[in-house]
Amino acid sequence: MSENSLYPGLNLGDKHGDAHVQAESTVFGFWVFLMSDLIIFGILFAGYASYLDPIGLAGGPGPKELFDINSVAIQTVLLLVGGVAYAGVSLTVKYGHGRGNLVAWLLVCAAFGAGFLFFEVRDFISQAGKGGTPQVSGWLSSYWTLGGLHGIHVFCGILWIFAMIGQVATRGIDDVVKVRLSMLGVFWHFLDLIWVGIFSFVFLVPLA
Amino acid sequence: MTKPNTGHINPQESAASEIKSYATGFVISLILTVGAFAALLSDLPNTWKVVVICTAALLQIVTHMRNFLHLSFSGNQSREDLLLVLFSASLLAIMAGGTWYIMSDLSGRMHQTGESGSSSHRALAAYSNNGKPQQVWLSNVPLSRN
Repeated sequence: MSENSLYPGLNLGDKHGDAHVQAESTVFGFWVFLMSDLIIFGILFAGYASYLDPIGLAGGPGPKELFDINSVAIQTVLLLVGGVAYAGVSLTVKYGHGRGNLVAWLLVCAAFGAGFLFFEVRDFISQAGKGGTPQVSGWLSSYWTLGGLHGIHVFCGILWIFAMIGQVATRGIDDVVKVRLSMLGVFWHFLDLIWVGIFSFVFLVPLA
Repeated sequence: MTKPNTGHINPQESAASEIKSYATGFVISLILTVGAFAALLSDLPNTWKVVVICTAALLQIVTHMRNFLHLSFSGNQSREDLLLVLFSASLLAIMAGGTWYIMSDLSGRMHQTGESGSSSHRALAAYSNNGKPQQVWLSNVPLSRN
């Protein structure tokens, strides 16, 4: 990258004038929120790791009975592709490729996010069917809290995407929309980063 | 607040390099993800599986930060962003690492599951039992973790 980054995420660049300058403080503020979110996730990870022993399982079903590795792999790919697809949104805004492209890329992101949620919810339902409900053991409580919180984040991200599609349709791609799309991008990529921790430490390590 | 933006860049050239950066990040992430899942399904000893999965996860998190979140550690990032990330990471290391350490230490001292307790805890437990057979708590709990 040949230019200086003023804030996390793909920078709009000098060409965007006011939006680029305004994004510096706004996206930085949003980044502060995301770092506090990171602390919440980190503590939930620590709780999950602490409960991952026979006492924490309390005689309830464990990782080997409940986790479906194929479904986790599908979710991982869906979220990774959905995250990278946001590059299309960022680059469309930065280089002014028009509203149609922008909305199309946003819909691609939302579709992959929704696909991810579909498989995650399906897993939660089948796990509850196998007796793996949150109240059974400390380990299951921490698993549902961590996975559920991430799922709620993805759901909020999808709602946000549709809110932005509405704003792009009514306001056009003005400075405010550009800054909001920059924040959404950081949020969307951040969820992907958290999922890397979840599929590795929540699903793969206990199964190893 | 930050270094001023200097130098004019050719937009087409910049777009190509940005697409390349995203594509690189995507390919690296995909390889690391496949590597982690392959390690799990392989015949490696369990310890090595965990080592491979954790290493792949850390590398992928770094890749996401560099290529998708565009956090650069080479000096053209605004100082506040870097400080915030590093401060959050150290807070997280203290709180999450501390939680995990204390809880596994407690587990080792109180339940003597043998897995999370270090050898010194077991030695202490054996000493306090004066050579009598150790009573295993919650012995009806199946050891479903391997």
